[in-house]
Amino acid sequence: MSDQQAIAPAPAWRRYSAAPPLLLVGSILLYVGVALWTGQTRMLETDGVIGLLQRMVGLGIVALGQTFAIIAGSIDLSVANLISVAAVLASFIMQGRADMMLAAVLIVLAVSALVGVVNGAIISRLQVSPFIATLGVGLILQGLLSASFTDFAGSVPKEFQLVAYSTFGVVPYSVAALFALAALASFVLWATRFGAHLYAVGGNAEGARLAGIRTDLVTIGAHVVCSLSAGLTGLYLASRLRSGAPWVGRDGVYDLESIAVVVIGGTLLAGGRGGVWGTLAGVLLFATLDAAFNMLGVSAYPKLVLRGAIVILAVAVYTFRTRGHVA
Amino acid sequence: MEQAALALEMLDITKTFPGVQALDAVSFGCARGEVHALCGENGAGKSTLIKILGGVYRPDGGTIRLDGREVAFSHPIVARRAGISIIHQELSLLPQRSVAENIFLGVEPTRFGILDRRTMRDEAGRLLRRLGSSIAPDSLAGDLSIAHQQIVEIAKALAIDARILVMDEPTAALDRVDAGRLLDLVRKVSAEGVTIVYISHRMVEIQAVADRVTVLKDGRTVMTTTLAEAPTGRLVRAMVGRDLADFYPPRSSLPPGPPTLNVRGAANGQLHDVSFEVRAGEIVGVAGLEGSGKDALARALIGDEPFEVEAMEICGRAAKPGHPRAAIQAGIGRLSDDRKREGLLMQQSVRDNATLIERAFAPALRSPTAEPMSPQSTDKRLIQLDVRAASFEQEAQFLSGGNQQKVIIARWLARDPEIFIFCEPTRGVDVAAKAAIYQIMRDLARRGRAILMISSDLPEIIGVSDRILIMREGTLAGELPGGATEEEVMAIAVAHDREPHAMAS
Repeated sequence: MSDQQAIAPAPAWRRYSAAPPLLLVGSILLYVGVALWTGQTRMLETDGVIGLLQRMVGLGIVALGQTFAIIAGSIDLSVANLISVAAVLASFIMQGRADMMLAAVLIVLAVSALVGVVNGAIISRLQVSPFIATLGVGLILQGLLSASFTDFAGSVPKEFQLVAYSTFGVVPYSVAALFALAALASFVLWATRFGAHLYAVGGNAEGARLAGIRTDLVTIGAHVVCSLSAGLTGLYLASRLRSGAPWVGRDGVYDLESIAVVVIGGTLLAGGRGGVWGTLAGVLLFATLDAAFNMLGVSAYPKLVLRGAIVILAVAVYTFRTRGHVA
Repeated sequence: MEQAALALEMLDITKTFPGVQALDAVSFGCARGEVHALCGENGAGKSTLIKILGGVYRPDGGTIRLDGREVAFSHPIVARRAGISIIHQELSLLPQRSVAENIFLGVEPTRFGILDRRTMRDEAGRLLRRLGSSIAPDSLAGDLSIAHQQIVEIAKALAIDARILVMDEPTAALDRVDAGRLLDLVRKVSAEGVTIVYISHRMVEIQAVADRVTVLKDGRTVMTTTLAEAPTGRLVRAMVGRDLADFYPPRSSLPPGPPTLNVRGAANGQLHDVSFEVRAGEIVGVAGLEGSGKDALARALIGDEPFEVEAMEICGRAAKPGHPRAAIQAGIGRLSDDRKREGLLMQQSVRDNATLIERAFAPALRSPTAEPMSPQSTDKRLIQLDVRAASFEQEAQFLSGGNQQKVIIARWLARDPEIFIFCEPTRGVDVAAKAAIYQIMRDLARRGRAILMISSDLPEIIGVSDRILIMREGTLAGELPGGATEEEVMAIAVAHDREPHAMAS
């Protein structure tokens, strides 16, 4: 207790979450185990593994952004609707024409960024709770979209489908992009002022404000990142489905699933602690469950039960561990 | 003093809130490197004044000068850039972030736009060493004791080269040894030329550390004087308009009754074979350093933490509460040391707060306003305790600390337990409310209740208790009669009659 003794730095396991490696090992064991048990060993070859990684892309990109929002002590329930908007907008603008690709991508990203600014401004300026603010914005987006489009709108040109279907050697562009984005996100969180301020605002918004941080700008920044990631997921889905429909985001349950994987990955739902590698490991676990259930030939509904149980279990474990060490 | 410009000068500061004149032409000034104490009861205007200095509020009138230059702060950031750093009573460290990250919060050094973590760590280490501390910059702030967190807060102020450091009751949550160390730090930092505005209720500290003191009362400056000219008695009189002599209520002249609480051999991870009794009509104080087990004892007795016991009796009946509800049923009432977290429902009314315990035990279908929960009898109890609120429908968060404590006491009066456990009953409470709370405790004792008071405030332990139990390293290290000297209590609390072993850390 006395100050004469050195106060030791926190052990590594307190500073870095143990979640990512554990989830990674668990997912690999599950995947390999099910493949061997069902005798589908070709799933262990390159094509099978690439297929597994490909399953991660859609949810993975939006979950990276959701991680930013949650670390900053916020949350974004509008991502699923924004994904639909982005997918429909992209294919509607392109109308199968390659020369409209760049314009469509820029417009989609601009609209996404604007939605992020609106979300962040409602939360930080109007002091509306993030849950309500983003739920409201999501409903508005869905309403506008469903009023304007009822079915697949337009289509994307062959060139744009390359985003989802083309590869560097064996690695698909989209998988490479997911990991590149994760590396970028991790860098921003660890090595930039913006990253440090995200943790500060999520950990103690009032303390951060009194320390001179412009907390409103930080919240808005977190939501812009989150919405941009939703826009990118929308573009990816448009490329993969060859067109956008107003239900693609909702059908993917991207809002709740992106929150679930962030939390499974060890990011504190209250904010202030966490990181993107945990989130990615959570996405891998969900993708592995999908693949395992496919191999087992079981219907999709038990999978939901299992996902729900995993989310609850993960949060219970984190809470329990934290409490054990605070006391 | 006229020739050199003062480091900080606040002149004729006026601030009005709807319905309240919070500050009425308040003035004070401090020279460079001076420790200037600011004292006054809660509601005297100290925090409003500090918030104006920190740029949180804008004054309606008056001027602020730094080194003779007039300044106006539109936002906390502007005040911070001008070299003003405020350590709030509720520490603002991020528990999940490292010490270095906390120290440079908002002023992170960067190289080419990227955080320069090496500089952050090195500089943080240098600042902490300058303060004579060996806290590792990589430790998590949430792992540190409150005392160490205070040191990090000071380092945080030094990191922005603060010229004016405001400390708002920095020792409120510290035990005596750590408080003493903090005062040493205050002297050290002021000797380096930092001007310190020191807000505290503790007269002993003000006497020990301050060069001059300004007393506020009801939004006005009552006096500014050097400490040499102001004995404690005069300061207290200036603050409340009464003498220290009436501060602690007289002890009962009657011998205490039969034992109400009898504990033999209580033990858990933090307690070792603790045995004692509290008799009806008695106030027993429990003193000890931070980590001595006095808080663990309170948590065990109210059923908040499991413990083993050879025998425990309440009013002669065997009882060993396994959870808080059982403790209350067995006749134990408790005033928490953290009223914000464990005591009050901040957004609910004073009345609702005052009926919390009775509602918890009312039958499922009982009306929430049936006796003894009716507004009439609740108000009677609140008035009896002299709770001051705009209305009893006001939210508890808007009450002063002293009135919040009284609301919590009021909720127990309805239940009328045999034993009251008061944990740090006057933490963060002003002088007048302290005296009132002591009087309430004495009245309860006179009505035959047994009171166990756990406190880090030694003058309070000595002034209020009939007997003093002193804890050390989880054991009951000794007992003294009320009115013992601080030295006698401390001698037992810090004695090292055993080799320090792993348990203590």
